[in-house]
Amino acid sequence: MVETGSISIFLAFIISIYVLVASIYGVKTKKWDFVRSAENGAIAVLFLLIIATIALLHSLINLDFSLKYVALNTSTDLAMIYRFTSLWAGQAGSLLLWSLVLSIYTAIVVLQSRNKDRQLMPYVLATLATVSIFFVGIIAFVESPFEKLPFIPLEGRGLNPILQNAYMAIHPLTLYFGYVGVTVPFAFGMGALLSGKLGDEWIRYSRKWALFAWTFLSIGLLLGARWAYLELGWGGYWAWDPVENAAFMPWLAATAFIHSVMIQEKKGMLKKWNMSLIIITFFLSIFGTFITRSGIISSVHSFAQSDIGPLFLGFIAFILLFSFGMFLYRMNDLETENSFDSILSRESAFIFNNLLFLGAAFAVFLGTIFPILSEAITGNKILVGPPYFNRVNVPIALVLIFLMGVGPLISWRKASFKNLVKNFLYPILLAILTVIALLAFGMKDVVALISFSLCAFVTGTVFTEFFRGTRVRVKRGENFLLAFMRLVSRNKRRYGGYIVHIGIVLIVIGVTASSVFVTEKQATLARGESMELRNYNLRFDGLKQYTTDAKNATIANLTLFEGGKQIDTIAPEKNIYKYEGNREINQETEVALRSTYKDDLYIILSSFNEDGSATIRVMINPLVNWIWAGGLVLVLGAIVTMWPSRSKSRQEAFIRYTVRDDDNPIKAS
Amino acid sequence: MLKGRLKFIIAIAIIVLTVSYLVYGGVKDTMVYYLTVEELKAQVPTVYDSRVRVSGTVVPGTIIKDTNGALEFQITDGTQIIDVAYDGIVPDIFADDVEAVVEGVYAKNDVFEADTLLAKCPTKYESTDSLYENKETSY
Repeated sequence: MVETGSISIFLAFIISIYVLVASIYGVKTKKWDFVRSAENGAIAVLFLLIIATIALLHSLINLDFSLKYVALNTSTDLAMIYRFTSLWAGQAGSLLLWSLVLSIYTAIVVLQSRNKDRQLMPYVLATLATVSIFFVGIIAFVESPFEKLPFIPLEGRGLNPILQNAYMAIHPLTLYFGYVGVTVPFAFGMGALLSGKLGDEWIRYSRKWALFAWTFLSIGLLLGARWAYLELGWGGYWAWDPVENAAFMPWLAATAFIHSVMIQEKKGMLKKWNMSLIIITFFLSIFGTFITRSGIISSVHSFAQSDIGPLFLGFIAFILLFSFGMFLYRMNDLETENSFDSILSRESAFIFNNLLFLGAAFAVFLGTIFPILSEAITGNKILVGPPYFNRVNVPIALVLIFLMGVGPLISWRKASFKNLVKNFLYPILLAILTVIALLAFGMKDVVALISFSLCAFVTGTVFTEFFRGTRVRVKRGENFLLAFMRLVSRNKRRYGGYIVHIGIVLIVIGVTASSVFVTEKQATLARGESMELRNYNLRFDGLKQYTTDAKNATIANLTLFEGGKQIDTIAPEKNIYKYEGNREINQETEVALRSTYKDDLYIILSSFNEDGSATIRVMINPLVNWIWAGGLVLVLGAIVTMWPSRSKSRQEAFIRYTVRDDDNPIKAS
Repeated sequence: MLKGRLKFIIAIAIIVLTVSYLVYGGVKDTMVYYLTVEELKAQVPTVYDSRVRVSGTVVPGTIIKDTNGALEFQITDGTQIIDVAYDGIVPDIFADDVEAVVEGVYAKNDVFEADTLLAKCPTKYESTDSLYENKETSY
């Protein structure tokens, strides 16, 4: 199996080179047979990488410790499911997964469009093949997952216990689907630049793929946040750690892109901007992989460090030079077809949205690389921590939420005063009422007040949209529910987008509440003693120890009272993993979490003493569950948006309709 | 038309300037020097009471935990040693010989009062050193 695996990777590398050469040669000389064979080559790469992945999985599941990768990431006491997920626990496996996902996407692109756009597609394929050459090359020659050890250890090092968690099992996977997904819209952008076919095709394909990648990046970020919250035990879900930022930056750029493509589709504007944005998004995605994988920026959870840094830097430099070079070469073909009419218009709301998202991405980027930058320039290593990121991003986020409320209701081209009053009166009233109500309840924090009122404003505008659309249909005689369903299903992109916005609102509410209103307390309790926190009371009922095959656990038994009434029992744990070998991390603090829609009780057993007393740290984090609920709503909205239409003709008809609706004479191609 | 364009330029300029200002102010007010123990000691009178981040290896046997969960320990870079006091969440991998990163203030009594404690694994993650201890026979 091992030989099969490494041979497959090597072949995948060779064929990727062939795909690049054959597709370019084929399209340049119009020998379409070469293009066809390049397409088949892309599918062969997929099959080869599937074989390589199965070979590695086979070794992991059967604990073949002669392989370095297996010995480093598994052990005989590792549960079957984590033997499987250790495929992406280490460096080489992660890169194999990256390559595999890329080859899946490439195959889908090939199958979906092999008979369309004969000029554009070969270049798209060539771009994808170039990225594939880089990643497959690394696992073929530098970081092979099939590297053998000079001896066979009896026992492997085992998987870090904090990675043995259901969220960690799927979080990297979703994140990779997102990271790699960004490659496809980039490839379409490059395809358009290389072929000179800068019409609507590339933007249409790119939009769908960008939305797909964006959805997975969002899920990946949220799962990562949830994992950090449950496992890292400091009570938060986001720390502006370089590895988190690595995923957040492409998300910000991709968010800007999926908004601004709408302007190009509807108005033929922002062509240069969109092209630059997708290049930047791809750059940030590769850069993110680079900082996660190279360990160049010290991070608490950089799970892998190695010497692939220079290779990545070279690749990043190549991408930037080549793509912006092509961009300058085609600059004149990217002229806008329309110009802006008024600052009070939907177009300009989109522009401001884009500038702010990019500004946030830039600020995060700068903060992330600041230690390297400052050391290179001044010789001193200077860090900027969470306070920096919060100070910069909170105001930007608040303005963005405001724009999220404005965008859907403001008119295209030029909004009149009448239009503004008609559309925004009720949402603004709702926002004001929210502030008054919160002040009446005694809330004094200014940022929270602004944030919550903006959330109310956005909710108001989104509901106005749903309500108006449904009412029009109801007037035509449809019943309410049917009218609502048809409204959404006839116009999935628009209303799916609004559902995503509602998801974001829920997340913002959760993030605001849980970062502004945390209550925290630590106490050392003897058996029978209690601690009080807000209206909760926690009684410590003593320690209990138990042993399983894998660990020695110590539990603190706690009884929770609210307003004098017993409501729950809680048991945070501290585990020492049994292991006779030399696993480097054998201690794990297991947080006890009591989660309701209103607040989370986050309880950690900090330490315990021989006299039976225990130090307990308790946090009350309000509304954290709203974040995860918002994530579900976001995914639902994204699915609605991406759901394929029953018939293509209807969708086409809709696009033309919108264009005419806007008095827009464009749409030549 | 020209007036409209000017409005746009002004609005965009405002956004760009505001973001730049936020970044600049954010960096200026929150930046923290990252020092080794030796560098910290070298800057001794001036470094007192300013916020810094220091990394070093935990000196074995110096970790003292009081019953309230507060910690005292020493870190070293091989040449110099400093005392650290910390009260807060202790990372699971924190132990003798790990590389600890502390952030806080170096007080005039020469104790580093940390409010953040991070710990890194003693060896590189992908190191195979530990596997050698477990080998039975070479082949």
